[in-house]
Amino acid sequence: MVLPAAGRSVTILDRITFDIPAKQTVAIVGPSGSGKSTLLGLMAGLDRPTSGSIQLDGIDITAMGESRMARFRREKVGYIFQSFHLIPTLTAIENVAVPLELSGERRAGERAAELLAAVGLSSRMEHYPVQLSGGEQQRVAVARAFACRPPILLADEPTGNLDSSTGAHVIDLLLSLHRDSSTTLVLVTHDATLASSMQRVLSLRDGHLESDSMPSYSEFTDDVATGSTSKDRVSSMDCSSSDRPAESDL
Amino acid sequence: MTFFMVKMAWRETRAAWRHFLYFLVCIAIGVGALTGVSIFGTQVEHTVTKEARGLLGGDLEIRLSRPISPKGQEVLDSLRERGIVQAHVSELVAMAARAEPSVSGQPTQIIELKAVEPPYPLYGSLRLEPSSDLAELLRHQTHGCPDRTCFGTVVQESLLIRMGLMVGDQLRIGQGLFIITGVVRTEPDRMANAFSLGPRVLMSREGLHAAELIKVGSRIRERYLLKIPNTMAPDPLLYELRGRLAPDAARVSSYRDAQPQLKQSLEQLTRYLGLIGLTALFVGGLGVATSVHAFVREKLQTIAILKTVGAESSTIIQTYVLQATILGLVGSLVGLGTGVLLQQSLPGMIAALMVSDLLDQLGFSQGGMELPLAPLAKGLALGILSTLLFTLWPLLTIRDVKPARIFRREVAPLASSNESSPTRWWMLRKGLDRAKAITSVGVGLGLALLSVWQANSWKVGLLFILAFAAAVVLLGASARGVLMALKKWPRPEALVLRQALGNVLRPGSQAVSITIAIGIAVMVVTTVSLVERSLLAQVGDNRPTGAPTFFFIDIQPDQAEGMTALLRQRSSDPNPRLTPLVRSRLAGLKGEPVTLEAMSEEEEQKEKAAQREERRKKWYLTREYVLTFLQDLPKDNKIVQGDWWKPGQVFTKPLISVEEDAAKQLGLTVGDMLELDIQGTPITGEISSIRQVEWGNFSTNFYMIFSPGALDGAPHTYVATVRVAPSEEVALQQAVVASFPNVTAINIGDVLDSFARVLDRLSLAIRAVALFCVLSGGLVMAAALAATRYRRLYESVILKALGATRSMIARSFAVEYALLGTLGGLLGCALASALSWAVLATVFDLSWSLQPAVLATGFTATIILTMLVGFLSTYRILGQPPLSVLRQE
Repeated sequence: MVLPAAGRSVTILDRITFDIPAKQTVAIVGPSGSGKSTLLGLMAGLDRPTSGSIQLDGIDITAMGESRMARFRREKVGYIFQSFHLIPTLTAIENVAVPLELSGERRAGERAAELLAAVGLSSRMEHYPVQLSGGEQQRVAVARAFACRPPILLADEPTGNLDSSTGAHVIDLLLSLHRDSSTTLVLVTHDATLASSMQRVLSLRDGHLESDSMPSYSEFTDDVATGSTSKDRVSSMDCSSSDRPAESDL
Repeated sequence: MTFFMVKMAWRETRAAWRHFLYFLVCIAIGVGALTGVSIFGTQVEHTVTKEARGLLGGDLEIRLSRPISPKGQEVLDSLRERGIVQAHVSELVAMAARAEPSVSGQPTQIIELKAVEPPYPLYGSLRLEPSSDLAELLRHQTHGCPDRTCFGTVVQESLLIRMGLMVGDQLRIGQGLFIITGVVRTEPDRMANAFSLGPRVLMSREGLHAAELIKVGSRIRERYLLKIPNTMAPDPLLYELRGRLAPDAARVSSYRDAQPQLKQSLEQLTRYLGLIGLTALFVGGLGVATSVHAFVREKLQTIAILKTVGAESSTIIQTYVLQATILGLVGSLVGLGTGVLLQQSLPGMIAALMVSDLLDQLGFSQGGMELPLAPLAKGLALGILSTLLFTLWPLLTIRDVKPARIFRREVAPLASSNESSPTRWWMLRKGLDRAKAITSVGVGLGLALLSVWQANSWKVGLLFILAFAAAVVLLGASARGVLMALKKWPRPEALVLRQALGNVLRPGSQAVSITIAIGIAVMVVTTVSLVERSLLAQVGDNRPTGAPTFFFIDIQPDQAEGMTALLRQRSSDPNPRLTPLVRSRLAGLKGEPVTLEAMSEEEEQKEKAAQREERRKKWYLTREYVLTFLQDLPKDNKIVQGDWWKPGQVFTKPLISVEEDAAKQLGLTVGDMLELDIQGTPITGEISSIRQVEWGNFSTNFYMIFSPGALDGAPHTYVATVRVAPSEEVALQQAVVASFPNVTAINIGDVLDSFARVLDRLSLAIRAVALFCVLSGGLVMAAALAATRYRRLYESVILKALGATRSMIARSFAVEYALLGTLGGLLGCALASALSWAVLATVFDLSWSLQPAVLATGFTATIILTMLVGFLSTYRILGQPPLSVLRQE
């Protein structure tokens, strides 16, 4: 992954290869600028690698056109940002309803209300983002990411802008969604405790994959062993930079 | 169109309606201007069609420029047997004189006389005061003139005012004495000309006979108005009469083509007013584009989020297109309201153009009239379509939004688009991708089609859009050039200047779009003034110093000597000129006979389809030629081919000198034979020279001049031209009318004054519509400034936090707006000069001259208006306390 910056190209990620089995929880850690967020963005198809390939749910998304990618993302991926990124002109319930409406869901409003109730915000549904606290905004964002029941949930430092107790709340929420819906969860974090609560930790340094470890032994260990067929391989990545200068769109 | 788009479009509008106020008003103003003009045009056209019989005076009209021949009279008499009702009307210009001396008012007055007989009017209504029977008012009077016979007359009020008379007073016209028995308010069949020589005076045919005004060669228009039975079709009769009355050179027309000139000039007027309205709409469109562009820039984050949660670019673009369409619809509806209001005031302005108060004459009143649906629908469609066309381009940038880039904030958003220039979608650039290329072609085509639709003509519409596009490109390119030059210049030392210049030059400053909008508005308004001023200069200031004050027409040969003596005696002009006039028509060209008016229906259809050039040729063939015979070449005439006759030359046959254009149109050259019909008598001559004539020299000019003696014995009159001091004018006119009552005095000054008045009113109507362009231009500027409001606010509070005073910031804004005004004003004035040159050269065939006063006024007004609009859009920023703004950041 190479990006243009101030007229020169910078290699953000280089020769990274890994597979994530379905239903696994993964933390991506590393110091600032190590390429964590870029990696997550690539996995969501929000950006395109300079070279290499990315497969989600067995499908190569690298060559997908923008429109197909958007539809694919709608069905497969929920994305949570560090700074929430709710649409400021929409109320909480409308923000949650957007992906449902995009999918043509008839009962978008009802479903959004259920989701907001599930994250404990049924009393704040008609509030605009500016009227919500950070924790509340992030819970709305979680509800939005989960609206279309995607099999994959990607979270970019979901607690980064929250105090520790609110952050813990949000993590509990993510984990319970993971448990209840068997969602694959990949999150980027600085927080070592949070990382250690995941089944697997990918550690990045200067755009390279430094380590790939399994800190905890949970009931999911078996799944990794049994579920590593290609069909269940949720995310696989082989992404590296080239020595050539960047193309204009990267 | 999915449910999502509708919901999302509504939510975005709900949140940003303030942002869209400019958008709405930009569209509303353009649509308002267009709709107002076209409602008015449609209503007038409907009325003209409905009142066509009244306007013509009958189902059919036979028109001659001399008394009808006995043969022709037989034809007319035979019509009565077929149940056709007819009314004979004679129209001529004459002089009226007060019968008794009075202290107030002028003693003599030129009038447009009309002699009628019952059952005039056949159609339409004549509004009289008192509202009694016309025949009753015009009949022989027994009261008031004891010593001799006199008739009643009904006059226009302006005659009473000018001569200081009242109903019941006496009036002398020709040899007759008349008593004013009433006032005529409206007359159905008065030619709706913008020009008139004098007030209307109505009299009976007996009255006209008593006045003894009609002499051989007098200028007169004889009209026979026919009312045919319902069972009879007008067209066969029309062609029959054209054939049978051909020897009389009569023009026969039916109410179906009544007032073609009137219709045509109204059509032209509404067409050009409509195009000015379209300019306002397109300038507003630029404002819409600016608004949308700013909106998209503000919405980058939302667009990125939508893409992240799975929205396709096309879905987002369609959502915003839907939103724009709804806003365009609302703006257009507001515009329709504005248009109805404008249309209420247009009739007043345009009515003032017509001498006979045409609209009143037609029974036109906007209040009682139903609003025509077609112009409303057209206005709505034009508003929505232009909105769409102007929003497509800026909305395309949505495709370039890459969510990962927005969130990372490491590199510039819209990396693949040009961040610095908000106007780039008005200019074709290298590296357009396919969608953009297709869209730009589509937008261009769409705007061209809208123009053609509005102009109702391919040629005018395409010319309009090409001129508009050229103006936009020129303004954009020049503004860019100036900004680039300014960038290279070293920054000024003074903080106020530096800040102002920085605001104009910075990336995303909107300076180019503001310049384009201001420039076009200035161009339209200044062009109107420049053209008006040039026309006025042509007739006023440029009048040659030796130009005559008076034309005296219809002088009979036996009066010539007396007239010359009187002019010598009463004026300081040592050499008053009398020129003989002979009225004729073309009878043959190079030995081939010219047939007039005897056109079959088929030929007439062909004629209608004929090109302008053909029609022009036809005009030269069928028009009446006023000839003269002269010894010396008139002044301002130049021989371009052949020779003028030499002094003492002996003529074996009549020789003719022909004017250049007429010779060209008729395909004549030196040596060709020409046959003319002089009131029934043919005369043949050989062309001996071709002349160039300076038509604008206010002298008597002729298409054809015969050699001396060639027209001896032909019925002729004289026209006298004389130049007198202003103080002598009234006395001279009075003396002439007293001695020669049948001679009509035309005062050139009065004619020119009335021309200037008409021009003034016409330009008032045009300016009223052009004002909408100025409004649009101002709005575009306000919209563009609003787009930079947050940046300005932020900057101004930082400056304040650093110790800048409010007045310093205000001054830097003032300098900035003045700079924008200077740029827009200069470029607009330059374009106006070019455009007015084109209009003068092509439409009026006049040369262009620099009008420094008009340009200076336009330029200064632009700067003042720009500063005003700028301050109104940004003054609130000045009062913001720094801390509250900075805390929000």
